Amino acid sequence: MKRPWYRFLYVRSPLAKIGLAMLALLGSIALLLVMGILETPRMEAQTLNFEGRSIQNGAAAFANNCASCHGVDGKGLTGVAPALHSKYFFTQRLKDLEYTGSLHDYVKLTVAAGRPSMKKSQWAQMMPTWGQRYGGPFRDDQVEDVTQFVLNWEEDALVQTAETDPWQPFQNAPTVDIFAGGGAVEAAPTPVATGPRPPQELFVAMACVGCHNIDQPQTDSNKGPIGPNMANLYETAGTRVAGQDGKTYIHTSIINPTALVVAGYNPVMPADFATKMSEEEINSLVDWILDPNRQR
Amino acid sequence: MAVQPEVEKKSILRAVTDAADDVFTRITAGIPAAEVRRMLRGEAPGRPNPRLKPHSEAFLLHIKPTYYHESVTKFTHTFRLGLISTYLFFLETITGLILMIWYAPTPERAYTDMIRLLSNVPFGQLMRDLHRLGAELMVVAVTLHMVRTYLTGSYKAPRQFTWFTGVILLVLTLFLSFSGYLLPWDQLAYWAVTIGTSMAEAVPPKVVGETINLLARGAPDIGANGLMRFYLLHVLFLPLVLFLFFFVHYYKVVHFGISLPSDEEEVGQDTANKVPADRRVYFLPDVFIDESALLIFITALIVAATALFFTAPLESIANPQSTPLHTVAPWYFYWLQGLLKIADKSIAGVYIPGILLVLLMGIPYLDRNPSRRGRDRRVAIISGVVAGIVIIILSWMGTPYYAVQGAPAVEIVQELMPEEGMGPVREMGYAHLPIGVYDTRTNLESGDAEFDEVLHEFSVAIEEFGKTDKSFNEPYGIVTVSQEQPQLKRITWDIFWLSPDGKEETYKRIFFVHENALYWEQYGLKDFSYVRPPQPAEGK
Repeated sequence: MKRPWYRFLYVRSPLAKIGLAMLALLGSIALLLVMGILETPRMEAQTLNFEGRSIQNGAAAFANNCASCHGVDGKGLTGVAPALHSKYFFTQRLKDLEYTGSLHDYVKLTVAAGRPSMKKSQWAQMMPTWGQRYGGPFRDDQVEDVTQFVLNWEEDALVQTAETDPWQPFQNAPTVDIFAGGGAVEAAPTPVATGPRPPQELFVAMACVGCHNIDQPQTDSNKGPIGPNMANLYETAGTRVAGQDGKTYIHTSIINPTALVVAGYNPVMPADFATKMSEEEINSLVDWILDPNRQR
Repeated sequence: MAVQPEVEKKSILRAVTDAADDVFTRITAGIPAAEVRRMLRGEAPGRPNPRLKPHSEAFLLHIKPTYYHESVTKFTHTFRLGLISTYLFFLETITGLILMIWYAPTPERAYTDMIRLLSNVPFGQLMRDLHRLGAELMVVAVTLHMVRTYLTGSYKAPRQFTWFTGVILLVLTLFLSFSGYLLPWDQLAYWAVTIGTSMAEAVPPKVVGETINLLARGAPDIGANGLMRFYLLHVLFLPLVLFLFFFVHYYKVVHFGISLPSDEEEVGQDTANKVPADRRVYFLPDVFIDESALLIFITALIVAATALFFTAPLESIANPQSTPLHTVAPWYFYWLQGLLKIADKSIAGVYIPGILLVLLMGIPYLDRNPSRRGRDRRVAIISGVVAGIVIIILSWMGTPYYAVQGAPAVEIVQELMPEEGMGPVREMGYAHLPIGVYDTRTNLESGDAEFDEVLHEFSVAIEEFGKTDKSFNEPYGIVTVSQEQPQLKRITWDIFWLSPDGKEETYKRIFFVHENALYWEQYGLKDFSYVRPPQPAEGK
C-alpha cells in the first residue's frame, strides 16, 4: 500500500496518543490560568468601555434632540431652557429644590418623565417627556445614555466662575448665589451688547432657534410645534397682513410679538427683544430671516 | 460480602487489592486494572475478548459498535467529521447552559445582559466567544461531513435514509445557529434576523407567507414576542428535535456500519458489516483513545483560538428605527442573500431553497448508479463540484462588495468610520484625534502621523470618486475634530460636491469618540492595551 507524505503525523502508540492529549489539556489549562489573571483588568476595561460608549450614544442623542433648547454646549438658551453645563447645576440645584436623591436620578427622571406644567416659568416651553415609559421616544437605555452624557460635564462645570457659569436662575424658585457666599440673586441677567452682532448669532443667542425651525417650511402638513417654521417665510411674510410688506411684518412680530400671533399658536414669544437688541441688529435679523439664500 | 472469611482465606493485602480492583472494574464497567494495563501497552486482547464488556454494561457505550473495519478507522477516510459535529453540539449545549444563567430574553434586558456578561462575569466573554465559535464550526463541520459523504458516495443503498436524516440535521444546525443570532439583541442580530424572516413572508399564497412571518416574529416586526420565540426555538425546541434526529441518524450509522473505501469491495456490494477477524479494530481501546485524544486536541485548539483570535461580534443595541448600512445575513446564508439580489423574493427566498432541499434529500433516490468509485461517478462528482462553486460565487454576491454601493459621500465616510464596528478611525482611538479643522484642499497636516494617514485616505477616496462618479463633481471634504466634553471628542465629516446640474450638495456625519471606548474587534486578549496602566487623559 502506498504510504502518504503525511505519514509523519501518524501516532501509533496508545501511550503517545494519551500523552499528546494530556499535553494539549495542560496547555489549555495553562492558557485559562493566564486568562484568569487577566480577567480583572479585562472586565475593568470593559466596564470603562461601556460607560464611554454610553456617553458617546448620549452625545449623539443630545445633539439631535436636546441641543436645540439646552444649547449645543449644554449652556442653555436665554428664555428657552436652563443650562446643564453649569457649576450651579452640579453643586446647588438639588439643594435649592430640597431634592434628596442623587443628581443622576434627578437628571434621569427629568429626561424620562419631562417637567410637566410649570406655572409662572420664564421658559418658553416645558421640558417634554422623553422616556418611552412615559410616552416619549427614548428607550430606557437611551435615557440612561443622555443622563450619562449630561453628568459627564461635571469636571468642566466645577471650574466655572461667576462670569462663566451660564446658569439662569429660575424666576419661580428660591436660589442661592454659590459664587458670593450664599446671598440670593436676581433672575435672568440681561446680556450686554457690544456692537452689532451678526443675525446668525442673534438667532441663537435670542433663542429664536428654540421655537422656530429655519430649515423646515411652514405648510399645512408641516407646522412648527411651538412657533411657525421659517424656511418659506420669505414667500409668505408679505401676505400675512393686508397692506403690510414682509419686512414690516417680521419687524413688528419681533418687537411686539403678541400683536400678530399666527392662528393656532399660543402667545408665548418673549416681548422683551426690543430691549435686548439694537434697532440695527433687529433690522439685520429681519433681512436675514427674509433672505431666501440665507447663510447659516 | 463478609470481610472476615475473605481476609482469612487470602492475606489482608490481597483482600484489599481485590476490593480495589473490584471498585475499579465497576468504574470501567467491566474491565479490570490488569486488562487496562495490557491495553495501554498495546497488547492484543485474550479470548474471549474481555474488552467488550463495557458495551453491554455501560449505557453510553452500548450504542457504540464494538469493533470497526480497519479501513474506516483511518483519519482520512471520514475525518471523524460526524464525531466532531456531535462533540460541537455538546460543547454548544454546555456553553449555552452557562450563558443562560446571565441572560433574560426581553428587549429591555437582553443587550444589557450581554454588557454585564462581558464586563462583570469572569470568563463571561470566553464563554460567549466559545459558544459563537462553536456554532460556526458546527455549521462548517456538518457541511464538510455532508460533502465527504457525497464524494465517497456513502449515501447509496442501503444508507439512503441515513443521508435523509443527515440533511435534516444540517437544516436543524443552520436553524439553530440562525435562531441564536437574534439573542444578543444588537443591530447585527436584529437586521440579519429581519432579513431572514422576511424571506418566509414570500411563501405563496400571500396569506400563508404572512402567517408564517407573523408566527415567527410574534408581531409584524420583531420585538419582545419575536425574541421570546427565537429564544425558545434556540434553547428548547430545535435542540430537542436535533437530539432526536441525531439518535436516528447515529443508529442508522451503527446499524449499517461506516461504508468501506470504495476500492475494497465489489461494485453494488456492501460488506461494511462483514469484517474479517484479522481486520477488526476494537473500540476499546484503539478507537476510544483516538476519539478522546482527537476531541481533547480540538477542545484545546478551540479554547486557544477563542482566547487569542476569535471575538463574537456585538454591535450597538437593536434599533428598529435605523437600518445600518450594508446589513448582512450570517455568512452561511450569504448565498441566499446573493440569490435575493438577482432574483425575485419568492423565487430566490422560497422556491430555489425549497427545490434545493428536496433535491438534496432525494439525491440517493435520483442517483441510480450503484458504484461508489470516483471514476464511475464523474457526472455526480462534477455536478457536486459545480454546485459548490455556484454556492461560493453566490456567497460572494451576498456580501456588500457586490452590487450595493451607496452614494459616494456615504461610502467614503462608511469606509473610514462605519456606523457599526471599528473602522480605521476608531481603531486609532481618542488619543490620535488632534483637535482642529482639516480641509482636503489645503490643510492635511495634523501633526499626528496616524491621523494624517486617515486624512490622506479620506482625500484620496474623495479624489477617486470625483474622477469616476459623474454626479460627484469638484468634491472636497472637511474633517472637524473638537473637544465635546472631558474625555469625549466630536468628529464631523463634511463632504461638499457639485451635482451634474451645478448645484452644491453636502453630506454631513457626526460621530463621538470616548477615550475609553472599545469596539468588539478589540475585545479580549486580541489587544493587550488594557493591561497597561491607564494613561492620564489629555485636554482636561
